[in-house]
Amino acid sequence: MSKPSNDKVELHPLVGIDPVIHAPARLMTMTYLYVVESTDFIFLMRMTGLTWGSLSTHLSKLESAGYVHIEKTFKGKKPHTVIRLTDQGRKAFRAYKTNLKQVLDDLPD
Amino acid sequence: MESFLRLKDAERKVFRATFQDGLWDVFIGCVVLQLAVSPLLSTRLGDFWSSAVFLPFYALVFGIIWLVRKSVVAPRLGSVRFGPARKTRLKKFTIIMLAVNLVAFLAGMVFAIRADVSSGLMYVVLFGFIVLVLFSTAAYFLECVRFFVYGVLFVLSFVVGEWLFAQHSVRHHGFPITFGLTSGIIITVGLVHFVRLLRRYPIPVVEPGSEEPAP
Repeated sequence: MSKPSNDKVELHPLVGIDPVIHAPARLMTMTYLYVVESTDFIFLMRMTGLTWGSLSTHLSKLESAGYVHIEKTFKGKKPHTVIRLTDQGRKAFRAYKTNLKQVLDDLPD
Repeated sequence: MESFLRLKDAERKVFRATFQDGLWDVFIGCVVLQLAVSPLLSTRLGDFWSSAVFLPFYALVFGIIWLVRKSVVAPRLGSVRFGPARKTRLKKFTIIMLAVNLVAFLAGMVFAIRADVSSGLMYVVLFGFIVLVLFSTAAYFLECVRFFVYGVLFVLSFVVGEWLFAQHSVRHHGFPITFGLTSGIIITVGLVHFVRLLRRYPIPVVEPGSEEPAP
């Protein structure tokens, strides 16, 4: 078996970049969720600047990956959606951050 | 891409967003208002009752702010629970504020007992310093610079009031004028923030065809 070439070795950490997190909108969403305990849908929408529909779609993808927990309740008669990162989501975000940093640090100036 | 990963900035942005509504400013302004109005009431009600009548006033203002936050701000801005680091910081803030308030209370008692010391420059310097420490602590821990400015305005109200009294024999140590002005400035700043929030964040409408996030 032949040795991998140098450029393949340098870019190897890219393989570890999680494509679920890597999309800018989801990365932004994960970042805000990472620094808080939980937030409701509207606050997350205000922080990310995403539209209702866009955030809803991205959250569904993150939920499917097991990265966020979405709790749907009522406040009086009004629906209230609370979102928090799962343990798996926190681990994935930390791994993503480490991998991306490694890739960027390895790039020549 | 890297800017998304500045976690401290993201956390700070989240925390600061909770001060966008200006309602704390309105509350502080109402507290300062007491120092402007109670000297005017003291001639009729006496020193104790002229201050005590403000307790139900504070409760009323606090109740109104709570209602406004719940029914006006929350539907527009949403709500958040902070992470452990921020909670620890807020706990430290609470402890420091309690300690400084306790020191202020004890100092007030000492000055009240030793009335000869309580007059003049010494009184102004000591209480001005304590107030500045209180507001600076709030500004630092809550990361809200305008609270420091309020502290400076508060101290200036004290100093200028005493100066008006000493130089021009203005009644009630000039406090109705100086603290009235300071209170007006703080409440106005709060209301400007509040109106800005209402304009910037209308109640969100669900887009047609988008998935409803709540049941």
